[in-house]
Amino acid sequence: MAKKPPPPAGPPVDPTQTHFVDEAPYDPRRASDERDGGVALPPAAKPWALFWRRFRRHRLAVASAWVLGFFYFLIVPFAEIIAPYAQETRNPDAIHAPPQALHLFHNGEYAGVFTYALRARIDLENFERVYEEDVTRPTRVRVFCLGDPYEFWGLIEMRFHLFCPDEGGTLHLLGTDGLGRDMLSRIIYGTRVSLTIGLIGLAISFVLGVVLGGLAGYFGGLIDNVIERLIELIRSLPELPLWLALAAALPANWPPIFIYFGITLILGLLDWPGLARAVRARVLQLREEEFVLAATLTGASPQRLVRKHMLPNFSSHLIASATLSVPGMILGETALSFLGLGLRAPVVSWGVLLNDAQDLSAIEVYPWLLLPMVPVILVVLAFNFFGDGLRDAADPYR
Amino acid sequence: MTGGEMNELERPKARGLRPATLFVALAAVIGIGFLLFGGPAPEQGQPPQEPAVVISAPVPIAEFAGGPSGSGRGTGVGLVRETGTPGGTLNILLPREKDIRLLNVWGYARLVGFNERLELQPDILEKISVIEGRIFEMTLRADHRWSDGAPFTTEDFRYYWEDIANNPELSPSGVPDELLNDGEAPIVEILDARRVRYTWTYPNPRFLFLLAQAREPYIYRPSHYLKQFHARYGDAAAIAQMVEAEKLSSWAALHNRRDSMYDNDNPALPTLQPWMIETAMPAQRLVLKRNPHFHRRDDAGQQLPYLDEIVATIAEPSLIPAKTAAGESMLQARGLGFGDITALKSAEARGNYRTLLWRITKGSQVALFPNLNVNDPVWRTLLRDARFRVALSLGIDRGDINRTLYFGLGIEGNNGVLPESPLYDAELMTRNATFNMARANALLDELELARGADGIRLLPDGRKLEIVVETAGENAEEPEMLELIAKTWRELGIQLIIKPYERSVLRNRVYSGETVMSVWSGWNNGVPTPMMSPNELAPTAQDILCWPKWGQYFETKGSSGEAPDMPEAQALIELYNAWSAAQDDGTRAAIWKQMLAMHAEMQFSIGTVAGVSQPVVVSNNLRNVPENGIFGWDPGAQFGIYRMDLFYLKR
Repeated sequence: MAKKPPPPAGPPVDPTQTHFVDEAPYDPRRASDERDGGVALPPAAKPWALFWRRFRRHRLAVASAWVLGFFYFLIVPFAEIIAPYAQETRNPDAIHAPPQALHLFHNGEYAGVFTYALRARIDLENFERVYEEDVTRPTRVRVFCLGDPYEFWGLIEMRFHLFCPDEGGTLHLLGTDGLGRDMLSRIIYGTRVSLTIGLIGLAISFVLGVVLGGLAGYFGGLIDNVIERLIELIRSLPELPLWLALAAALPANWPPIFIYFGITLILGLLDWPGLARAVRARVLQLREEEFVLAATLTGASPQRLVRKHMLPNFSSHLIASATLSVPGMILGETALSFLGLGLRAPVVSWGVLLNDAQDLSAIEVYPWLLLPMVPVILVVLAFNFFGDGLRDAADPYR
Repeated sequence: MTGGEMNELERPKARGLRPATLFVALAAVIGIGFLLFGGPAPEQGQPPQEPAVVISAPVPIAEFAGGPSGSGRGTGVGLVRETGTPGGTLNILLPREKDIRLLNVWGYARLVGFNERLELQPDILEKISVIEGRIFEMTLRADHRWSDGAPFTTEDFRYYWEDIANNPELSPSGVPDELLNDGEAPIVEILDARRVRYTWTYPNPRFLFLLAQAREPYIYRPSHYLKQFHARYGDAAAIAQMVEAEKLSSWAALHNRRDSMYDNDNPALPTLQPWMIETAMPAQRLVLKRNPHFHRRDDAGQQLPYLDEIVATIAEPSLIPAKTAAGESMLQARGLGFGDITALKSAEARGNYRTLLWRITKGSQVALFPNLNVNDPVWRTLLRDARFRVALSLGIDRGDINRTLYFGLGIEGNNGVLPESPLYDAELMTRNATFNMARANALLDELELARGADGIRLLPDGRKLEIVVETAGENAEEPEMLELIAKTWRELGIQLIIKPYERSVLRNRVYSGETVMSVWSGWNNGVPTPMMSPNELAPTAQDILCWPKWGQYFETKGSSGEAPDMPEAQALIELYNAWSAAQDDGTRAAIWKQMLAMHAEMQFSIGTVAGVSQPVVVSNNLRNVPENGIFGWDPGAQFGIYRMDLFYLKR
């Protein structure tokens, strides 16, 4: 740090002192220019710009960011508008209907985007509902239209949809389930629940992990001891029986979403020790680094030490562990709901939808019931690549 | 069975000819049916209008073979059965090891059993005479043997009666309740090596049906085998050694462990059933071998059963449909539900099987049981108000449920009796069971259940009207059905919340009064004749989920549970007692109808859809399985009445 010789106007130098504090403002650009021979950085390269530049080079991560952006900023907030049907709208004439095809040409003429009306028939020979397109009855797909009523964010009554079926027509692009509800709409509604509910648990475990791990590592001694023992205690609790007990103990007349919220809360409260240990180890190590010693000696407060000098050094780890736990939480929700422990109808999530698809018929006869797997795979992969890119970009040693 | 005169057990057959009785539509084929099933071999040429012949069991039973066929839907009457070839191995899947007991049910060798037309007929017995409805004289077949070759004699009846039922250590609570008539145990007399007589003071119409149950009481036991474990007969030192070796508490525990007639898990225990278990538990693959001394023969004189061996593989319940579709089972109904039919049908060619659809004879596929003994006083008052229960029933759109879940093939209505029963009444089936939101709302308003701000009604104490319906997931369609019900109830201002529990936990919660409402399948017997006991319709047992405490009170003769304090429940008990004392079918039928009417009026249990199809997957090589049939527990014993010993493998 103290590379420059003290300016002549500075305070007198005490030759017995081994260090001094320079009063002139520190200019990192000039410092790094000197270090790198004056060519390394373009003008005004802030750490964030550096980070961004490195991140952009990771093309998969950028693509994943777009995917996640699409899900989190478009589908999650505007689910009701994007879905062509409301969550619980049933079409009793289209039970287990397969995905409908979109057409452009009717009788050889361009007719806009449309679907043909569905004609259902029960085949008692094979015990099947057979759906045929009535090619004499094209029904247009409307765009920016009024359709099923819903409450936007549970507050405003609206009927506006991005696209919806024609009056009297059907638009089941991903088919329907056993009660005749549109799969696409349900997957869209499920996105909101599946993608957000895990974040709460994640936030809790992240904050607890960083704070307690940081405290243990930085202060050491008694605090470290207490936190370490606590971590060991929590890690020794068996989780599955705990969930089972909780799932049974939470009152039944709570809305199912609250019950799940409770479970993620507990999950978050149990999940932090892993992160806390990693943070503690990093802090313990960094505490002994020379630049931290230097900062200590220049009179930096503990807060500044942690925030400015230590945190950037393990932020890459934090970012990676956070982004990589989100898919863990999503899969956790899916798995728990699949087993019937997590969310339950009438709440819709990807796991709930997949839970409905866990029988032979879904695989043999109604394969479109398995479609909620696609967004699960997509989002989990995207999170993994995104986390990868973030970690690489945030790692100061690369 | 009127008093005084002595009747043999051919009476039910004669009854079958009356147009107003069971299987009316099939009356035309009954003559043939009589030839097919009924009479002893020498009488086969007799015209059917003289059915009141001296009845002894056909020896050998030479029915089912050849003959012209009718086309009875439902009970499989008019089946053509071919003479089979013995041999072969039948592979089946069972969800639990414990289910091996089902082979005893399907084998259905009973002292007296139902035939395919649900008429009683002697089976293990050569004949049974009923005198005044209270004296039952049974005659065993000559030279009948246990599966190990030891003779089956009246000593086996005596052993059960004196040394098991009346042994304070083996039966600490005394003679089983089901053998008591009005609290009175029978007098059992051994007349000679082949004749035994059971006598009660009052007529006991339940007794023959008891013997014909899927889970019968086994009033005979293989005494020659069990005596070695009995303190009275066995070698004390040997018994003590065995008790020690198996770390049991007493000789009684040892005897009980060996004596598993129903559980079917002791390979050493001799049996009268067509197949006997060979594998010691626990095992994943259970093998049953044919009983060489089985008492039935086909008309060609071949020893039954045809199948040499049955191999039951224990499979994860959720995998049974997939494994069946892959052809891993040659005869499968257990673990398959209505929702699997489409998939099973589509895989028929691949798995080399046919999917038969038999009609389930439960009173309702799924029924809701309001717990009239619930602890919560507010709920108890509300649930006991018939108007509330009727409103709940009127608020169910059964037509929609039927169309959505059952292709519209089920019968919509109350938890009652099906058209196959002579007691069926179309009006009773649908009384208070048609979708009528206006009437339901009016009833709820009449009860002064005001709606809160969110449209949900409020209980008198201000709580929300949220009914937690507890389910054990007995039926695969339950979640979807409850969702459909929740939807229409929501419009009535009632919130339905589904809470799953493990089966035994759910039962205990109902028994203790914690549960407000539970969901289970409807009455076990949806095809009763007047002769069959209406016990499910009255608070006679704890496991009837709408009144567990009253049922317990009845079962324990008042020592636990609660006395019924609702006039309707008391009336049902009185009707039930009147049925028990009734002497003729007219009275019994009248009582049945009165009880069914009360149920329709009062909605003690709320039915949905009945008469749903049970998929029965049958390998293309397996023959003599009826194309149409009924699938029920009591009566029916599932495959039991269709005589699984006649099923054979075509090679």
